[in-house]
Amino acid sequence: MLTLYHWEPNANSGKPMLALKEKGVDFQSHYLDLLNFDQHKPDYLKINPNGTIPALVHDELMLTESTAIMEYVNDAFPGPKLMPDDPVERQRARWWMRFFDQYFGPSLSMIGWSVFVGPSVRQKDPEELKAAIERIPLKERRIAWSKAIYNTFSPEELEESRRRVGVGIACLEKALSERPWIAGETYSLGDINGFNLGYALPLAQPQACNDEKTPHILKWLRAIYRRPATQETWKMGRTQMASRVTYLSQ
Amino acid sequence: MIELYHWEPNMFSLKPLIALHEKGVPFTSRYTDFGALEQYALPVALTGRMEVEHNPERDGPILVVDGTPMTESFFITLYLDDAYPEKPLRGPDAENRWRVLMWARFINEVLEPAVSTLGSRKFLSPLLQSRNRRDIEKTIERMPTKEQRDGWTAALAGSYSDDLVEDSRRKIGLAVKKFEDALAKGPWLAGQNYSLADINAFSILRPVQYLASDLLESASRTKDWLARIESRPAVKAALAASKTGKPHEAFTPGPEHSRWG
Repeated sequence: MLTLYHWEPNANSGKPMLALKEKGVDFQSHYLDLLNFDQHKPDYLKINPNGTIPALVHDELMLTESTAIMEYVNDAFPGPKLMPDDPVERQRARWWMRFFDQYFGPSLSMIGWSVFVGPSVRQKDPEELKAAIERIPLKERRIAWSKAIYNTFSPEELEESRRRVGVGIACLEKALSERPWIAGETYSLGDINGFNLGYALPLAQPQACNDEKTPHILKWLRAIYRRPATQETWKMGRTQMASRVTYLSQ
Repeated sequence: MIELYHWEPNMFSLKPLIALHEKGVPFTSRYTDFGALEQYALPVALTGRMEVEHNPERDGPILVVDGTPMTESFFITLYLDDAYPEKPLRGPDAENRWRVLMWARFINEVLEPAVSTLGSRKFLSPLLQSRNRRDIEKTIERMPTKEQRDGWTAALAGSYSDDLVEDSRRKIGLAVKKFEDALAKGPWLAGQNYSLADINAFSILRPVQYLASDLLESASRTKDWLARIESRPAVKAALAASKTGKPHEAFTPGPEHSRWG
């Protein structure tokens, strides 16, 4: 039995979704609405007491952390290899996944939460929101949600995140000008990770990420978009967030 | 031949040294005094590479294989386990390999910034302050990233707030509790076998015995596990790379604390 608990094909949820599709592994999809706090409701906390998504349940084993889940999927199931054969390239794929997960991604998501997630959930009843925050099991996630909901990111924090997004875009463009995929000659989990973080970069950062300034990023995004597994994964989205990806067909 | 640029066998530098000795892989040691900022004077063929400039550890060991430099101490040990499959340090199954990765994420996000903060405050700041200030400032100005300049500027000034110190102690306490829980279930962190998870955690927790020993006081399983690892021949060989005789005092600013709080 294999069940993936996930939200939209976006950021962390999208990573194991796309990895499973690339691998050709059948799985049960269990959609949770992040903006409706489904991930903090009792039914889900019985499965993952930390209330984070995504989570993959494989028989008796409950797995968390999207990048580690992708490595598990690649490791535990037959199908196309999603990590390079060359150990040097494999090391590079992992270096990039950490760069995406802990440097580029958090800065991009701070901006995303301040302009999208916060305003989306602020339309709810304030008392209901307060109760929703109190139900979040992890202290770190409670702080993050409060900041998004009450828009308490400081201007300095947001400015620093914008600077880091600029650094991330420059590094990514440089790497992709040296080799076709993030790790080298082979499409890998590093690219799957990067696409989930960056597929909307040209929409969110049109001044910094476009065909003139970052041609290699755009070429790379379009190449990943055309893959059948990507097409299938983004069809699993239920909101406008997922349908944005179609701009890459141009 | 592979080359390892490393400092004293502590924290990030200790991980690949242990893994190399456990696997019996021959290598050329390039001892580099990170406290004296020698890593910023290495050949540009190394320092100019993105993986070195944007090292998430800010300063850490560099493994060079056929001219390709690699950074991130845990990923270097994963590389070694991939490239030299004899005497595996992960497995035997996908679940165990996933657990090794889960430990790595927790250690690099929670434990490493916390121990680096306490260690830099206690050992790195006084060391820098005993040296020529202008020279250090000039090196800092030339560092490639803002993260590196910020980390070393704070160390030079010794500016670590009480809140940051308290938060670092909280994070170390959290990690010790996690180690105690895991070691109640089996002899090693990721399961029945000694693995890269143990090497990773040991390298970072070892200096805590000198920085915040009170946090380990009632953690009997963790103390026993530290002693078991310390007595391994490969670990003794790795620790013998020390030139100062006090590897546990060798600190760099380390990875940043999570910006999300």
